Amino acid sequence: MSPSYLSELDAELRAVGIRGSRHRRILAETADHLRESGDAAGFGEPKLIAARFADELATNGARRVGFASFLALAPAGLAYAVLVGLVRTWPDIASARLLPLALATAVVFVLAPQVAFAAGLLAVARAWRLRSQTAAPAAEVVVLRRRAAVALGSGAVALAAIAVFAYEYGSGLPGWWSPTAFAVSVAAFVPIGGAAVALARNGQLRPQAAGAAGDVFDDLAPLLDRIPLRLRGRPWRFCLLVAAAIAAAAFIAGGPEEGPRNAVAEFVAVCAAFAALGRFLGLRR
Amino acid sequence: MRAETLRGHLDFLLLAIVAVEPAHGYRIIEELKRRSAGAFDLPEGTVYPALHRLEQSGLLASSWASGSGRRRRVYRLTARGRRALAGARREWRGFTDAVEAVVA
Repeated sequence: MSPSYLSELDAELRAVGIRGSRHRRILAETADHLRESGDAAGFGEPKLIAARFADELATNGARRVGFASFLALAPAGLAYAVLVGLVRTWPDIASARLLPLALATAVVFVLAPQVAFAAGLLAVARAWRLRSQTAAPAAEVVVLRRRAAVALGSGAVALAAIAVFAYEYGSGLPGWWSPTAFAVSVAAFVPIGGAAVALARNGQLRPQAAGAAGDVFDDLAPLLDRIPLRLRGRPWRFCLLVAAAIAAAAFIAGGPEEGPRNAVAEFVAVCAAFAALGRFLGLRR
Repeated sequence: MRAETLRGHLDFLLLAIVAVEPAHGYRIIEELKRRSAGAFDLPEGTVYPALHRLEQSGLLASSWASGSGRRRRVYRLTARGRRALAGARREWRGFTDAVEAVVA
């Protein structure tokens, strides 16, 4: 066994963010292996081994978190749809206890679930694309983590908005709505919190593999490459197409009275979100 | 054999070795070399990240085992790993049969 090899591996593992029980276990397994083989050179350079651990565990873990984040958001999405769907008449916007807070909450109440859904879908798309890779480029892993983080964060904010909305407009809503909204918000937060913990743990790893992060055209290639609009490499064209589709859906759902206003609002919101988060989430380079 | 060529099949090979009987890392690596008559010779340390990753994915499970005054991490196949191995075997046989049919 080589104590200097182990101390070097110890330092390299710490450098790539591997600590705690996994760190101790890797050193114990390595020590056992070297006792048996007596050949530290055949084991590989400590830097290479540590980087390989970080690359493989970060890729695999981030991919799992990507899928788990979307699943964790499902109860919140279902609760949101049911709570919103069962309200026949919405309270007057000015009837809030504290109007500025209520207005801000109403905006978040509408936008946060959409951001959570979009970021969650993008996380799943990236996780799916990386499904056969054992060690993806670090930049790919970072984008996947960001998408999962934005999805989970927006989901948590949406749940908080439901609770605040229920408090602000409780008097104008059916009697069962507010207590149900509070209970559902707390319950739906549990899986989101669990996924957030897994994401935070994965975030401690610092993968080393070189390579580009890719963009949305790589993630959705099987779908986007079929659309004859030459979207690849033209992210804003893609953004306008998505915004137009969502605006059309909002127009149809809103009917003649609210449809035009909702369509414009959705179109602007999608473009604004794309401008604000596009690079961060790897939608454009 | 080139390391990158082997790496693409490493998961399949590791699952196949552990399927025979639970084993610790050194034994798995030795088995890999022995069964391939030395053709599969990676830097030994790079097998451990794959073992950890397969465990993270639920295809392997591991536990400490004591014997001869030392503790060793022993890996065994899970039910999910067994299913994955069966699927990989089918896929591999289909692939090699097809290649054989073309090049023979």
